[in-house]
Amino acid sequence: MNESEIREKIECYARFPERGKLRILTDTTEFMEVKAGDVLELAGCCYLVRGEEMEGRFGLDGEPKYWVKRAIDLSNGTSKVLKLVFHESFIMNLGEQRIRCFRSPQKEARVLDKTRNDPRFMKGFNVLDSAGNLVRIIDKIKGAPFLEYINSLTMDHETYFFKHFPKIFDQVFSCIEAIDRLHRMEELHGDIRNDHILLDRDTGLYTWIDFDYTYEWFESPFGVDLFGLGNILLLSTGKGFHNVPDLAACGPIGMKMKACLTPEDLSLFFSHRVINLQKMFPYIPDSLNNVLLHFSQGARIFYETAEELLNDLKACKTDLPY
Amino acid sequence: METKLLVAIDLSENSLKAVDYVGNMLSCHGTVQITLLTVIKEPSPDTMPDEEQRKSQVEAWRSKTLALMERAAERLKATGVSEKHIRLKIQICTRPVSVAELILREQQNEGYGTIVVGRRGVTKREEFLFGSVSSTIVREARHCTVWVVE
Repeated sequence: MNESEIREKIECYARFPERGKLRILTDTTEFMEVKAGDVLELAGCCYLVRGEEMEGRFGLDGEPKYWVKRAIDLSNGTSKVLKLVFHESFIMNLGEQRIRCFRSPQKEARVLDKTRNDPRFMKGFNVLDSAGNLVRIIDKIKGAPFLEYINSLTMDHETYFFKHFPKIFDQVFSCIEAIDRLHRMEELHGDIRNDHILLDRDTGLYTWIDFDYTYEWFESPFGVDLFGLGNILLLSTGKGFHNVPDLAACGPIGMKMKACLTPEDLSLFFSHRVINLQKMFPYIPDSLNNVLLHFSQGARIFYETAEELLNDLKACKTDLPY
Repeated sequence: METKLLVAIDLSENSLKAVDYVGNMLSCHGTVQITLLTVIKEPSPDTMPDEEQRKSQVEAWRSKTLALMERAAERLKATGVSEKHIRLKIQICTRPVSVAELILREQQNEGYGTIVVGRRGVTKREEFLFGSVSSTIVREARHCTVWVVE
């Protein structure tokens, strides 16, 4: 496309067309310099950059992720997320455990390729820019993060558990099956969080996003992902997390509940988080509660694979109020 | 009959304790064949994209490991184990496999009667996230004895 054709496409697809001089870039090495209004020409396609995606956690609200650009594909007007090459290594907290984490563009590109035909993973493709940087071009998913969805439910827990939870459980089960499939392909998700599942408005599916975290070699290769899956199960079963200090603030009933809890009922990784939800909600079946207890301080054995977790969750299905 | 014993050690000083224990237990055993095994895991291209950097990292680890194994062999000799009964083996892995699996495979392929491992004393949280070589070996080992040295 020449500049006038690009301007024409921008007029057609962008709500606020660019008035000034257009910058058309083919090299994304200096990603900080790629600004809203620039056009990136990658593998013969043009993308109008609209800005950066924002970091949404760990006290970094509002911090732009300069290597992740929101963009419009000027060939058809669809929204894309362009992930540019950025390597970093940092210490991450998994609850109270610290772990060195690496950001790896090539790992995410590989996962995108391997999960191309699975709708439970975000969709995208990989191209090289003119300097050989591996750019991931990802379809923007319209839909709320799982965490936001669960937090938006306003009914009491009992109503939630009997009317809504079985359907949510089925979707979460499917998400775990997807992760099991990924592990069988010798890949990790690497950053399983409650806001890294989006409820895709178009397909109705729960969809995994963001695969660029990786780690050094561990004896148990899937431990980090299993930690994340445990959190998702706990959030969905409890309709949110339940912490001991919150119970203490709930008056006499909360205090009575708190008195019933032992350290073995609490999370292995978040020492104030209740894992033994059956003590709070007695209608939660033993089978499901026992799965949750594998993530508690009282656990004697841990899940080592998603398959083991799935096998136990399958057995829970007959006990749920479908 | 020759008695073969496989001692799996890593770069920690702690694993030398396992070596000392083996030496003290077996120095009076004239025919025991002791193999000291270490596994070096090459960093993944995902965590270290530069190939040259990966190679030099492995080389650095190899030198450090060799020095440690020579120290371990000296400690064995000091307890009275004959040099001809000590074998050193370094295995370099280029893809992510379980160290416990490698040790167990080595035991099966070479017919070791005993595996000796040190225990690093990981926390429950660490065991959940990262796993434990000694726990896996204790659980999965077949047709051999396992010594876990604390």
